[in-house]
Amino acid sequence: MSTDPDTSRQSNTQQPNTRQSGAATNSHEPELALHIEDLTVSYHSKPVLWDIDLDVPPGVLAAIVGPNGAGKSTLIKTVLGLIRPAAGHIYIHGKTYREQRRKVGYVPQRSSVDWDFPTTALDVVTMGLYGQIGWLRRPGRRERARAEKALEQVGMDAFAERQISQLSGGQQQRVFLARALVQDADVYFMDEPMAGVDATTERTIIDLLKTLRSRGKTVIVVHHDLQTVASYFDWMVLLNVRVIAQGRVDAVYTAENLRRTYGGQIALLETPTTDAVAEEEQPDGPEQEVEGARAL
Amino acid sequence: MLELFSDFTLRNVAMGAALLGISSGVLGSFALLREQSLLGDTLSHAALPGVCLGFLIAGGRNLLPILLGALVTGALAALFVLLLTRRSRLKNDAALGIALSLFFAVGTVLLTYIGNQNNAGQAGLDAFLFGQAASILPADVAVMAVITALSLALVLGFWKEFKLLSFDPGFAGSLGLPTLLLDIIMTVMIALAIVIGLQLVGVVLMAAMVIAPAAAARQWTRRLGAMVTLAAVFGALSGVVGAVISALATGLATGPVIVLCASVFVIVSLLFAPERGLLWAALRSVRQRRELHSHQVLIDLYQLADAHGNPQYPSEAGMMNLYYGTDARRALRKLASKGYLVKTEHMREEGPHWVLTDAGYERARELLGEMGLAA
Repeated sequence: MSTDPDTSRQSNTQQPNTRQSGAATNSHEPELALHIEDLTVSYHSKPVLWDIDLDVPPGVLAAIVGPNGAGKSTLIKTVLGLIRPAAGHIYIHGKTYREQRRKVGYVPQRSSVDWDFPTTALDVVTMGLYGQIGWLRRPGRRERARAEKALEQVGMDAFAERQISQLSGGQQQRVFLARALVQDADVYFMDEPMAGVDATTERTIIDLLKTLRSRGKTVIVVHHDLQTVASYFDWMVLLNVRVIAQGRVDAVYTAENLRRTYGGQIALLETPTTDAVAEEEQPDGPEQEVEGARAL
Repeated sequence: MLELFSDFTLRNVAMGAALLGISSGVLGSFALLREQSLLGDTLSHAALPGVCLGFLIAGGRNLLPILLGALVTGALAALFVLLLTRRSRLKNDAALGIALSLFFAVGTVLLTYIGNQNNAGQAGLDAFLFGQAASILPADVAVMAVITALSLALVLGFWKEFKLLSFDPGFAGSLGLPTLLLDIIMTVMIALAIVIGLQLVGVVLMAAMVIAPAAAARQWTRRLGAMVTLAAVFGALSGVVGAVISALATGLATGPVIVLCASVFVIVSLLFAPERGLLWAALRSVRQRRELHSHQVLIDLYQLADAHGNPQYPSEAGMMNLYYGTDARRALRKLASKGYLVKTEHMREEGPHWVLTDAGYERARELLGEMGLAA
């Protein structure tokens, strides 16, 4: 399962679950793509995220995984400044989001917008540049060219002038992805980009994510499909209001961790984990040890 | 003398109505796309207490204080809705409904209070309920022109920001656009558009001018720019036509007539707009159903033939009818006209029979293949 050739590349970049980060140095961890300290977010006095400490090293494909209501989307939205946290600090490459905005790309959930909006695929992609164009100016030929290139990268160049309501779900998702690509960011946040898409689109997306990683970008993805986590991603955060586990996928993706994240809700988990991962890791030791064993 | 007067009134009315239609059409387009059409309704009803307060404070029917009052209470209502949705667990629609009825009730109380005072100018205030074209003065038209120009300038200046805010506010926020500020600007502009329409259309029906032209325009186009332009045109046309009708025929309240005109645009657009029109959709669905039925008949004939091991197996028309519980004749005739079937007289006393042609046999196999049921 976890035979992603790229994972080995990451083996000595960052030890998983180094929770003492920040203790050694009091800088804001510029070497980490994402560094979150003590983040708490609540909605009407009910905590949605509780005391989150989270690190994602640069150059990984990271999955945020957890059950419904675990706060996955909330986490991303809080990082992007769309939700105000009750407490905590968030740093992207060592600086606040406000300072790093130009280096961050965002793919919201596809279902968060009305696809009947009167506009074209190309126009939606151009929206990715609105932050760079400046007030009172309209996108011009240069922006158009960049948007067209991004559409080409997701295999949607033939649909540039298509009304967005006439696109399939997978095509709409690729348009959203192109809009993030055109932002030309260092760190990408994507909210369920593979939810409800066809197989072709899923392949396109995962290929694209791997291309981004090979260019040194960091991609942080809310992912819902436990079956594919291990093959698609090399970094993983298990979230259920709190962070249950984080680190390299092969270390975190254990039956025990999944049970702690999902509680009793998961019968389907038993199959994929047991053969691939849990077999060797059954003694359920601390992740650090498992990681050491694997490295050998 | 009388004719000159009526011409003068008409020109005023027509200009005022056109301006009103333009601004409410343009801003209504954004309200519609942001699913905030009901906000227009709340804002316009909430204008009534402001109208009365403006009248009381100014001590007479003076347009500027009245419009300012309407704007202030409209804004208060919008703020109230915002607070309710943010601080309580009420959903947006409930909050809008509460704000609407609360503010309108206060307005009605004030209106009856003013009426009981037997103030000579009170007759003028009633016009704000349903609108009165004849009460429009050149100075009013000038105020409307300024406000319309201002809102057009804002929409053009912040075009891409408003577009993104309407389509994907979350993404707009992630880019660092000041979404709350843009939101407020947009709401204030809608309130302004409503305020300038009060005299013509009245608080009760003003929301229709925000919703109807935009809803009609949405049917005809796939571009935001075209939609906004078209909404302005529809709004202006319904304003002018409605206001002129009501100005010519005495005793007709202007608001309802203008709104009826706008509704004609909506109904025609909903029915006949290409692609989105309900009429075309209904026709398409009938056509698709027929086609599906004829495919079904063809495939069943194929399977019958297959089951009998005889591609030329003749199927009886009566049996086909019985099988589908409906008349299969139309489907059979259509298939025959495409050359997929021929009629034979297999056993005369049993009526006509149908036999697959080679082309029909091939077509049935094709269809099965498309459905992933290849024989």
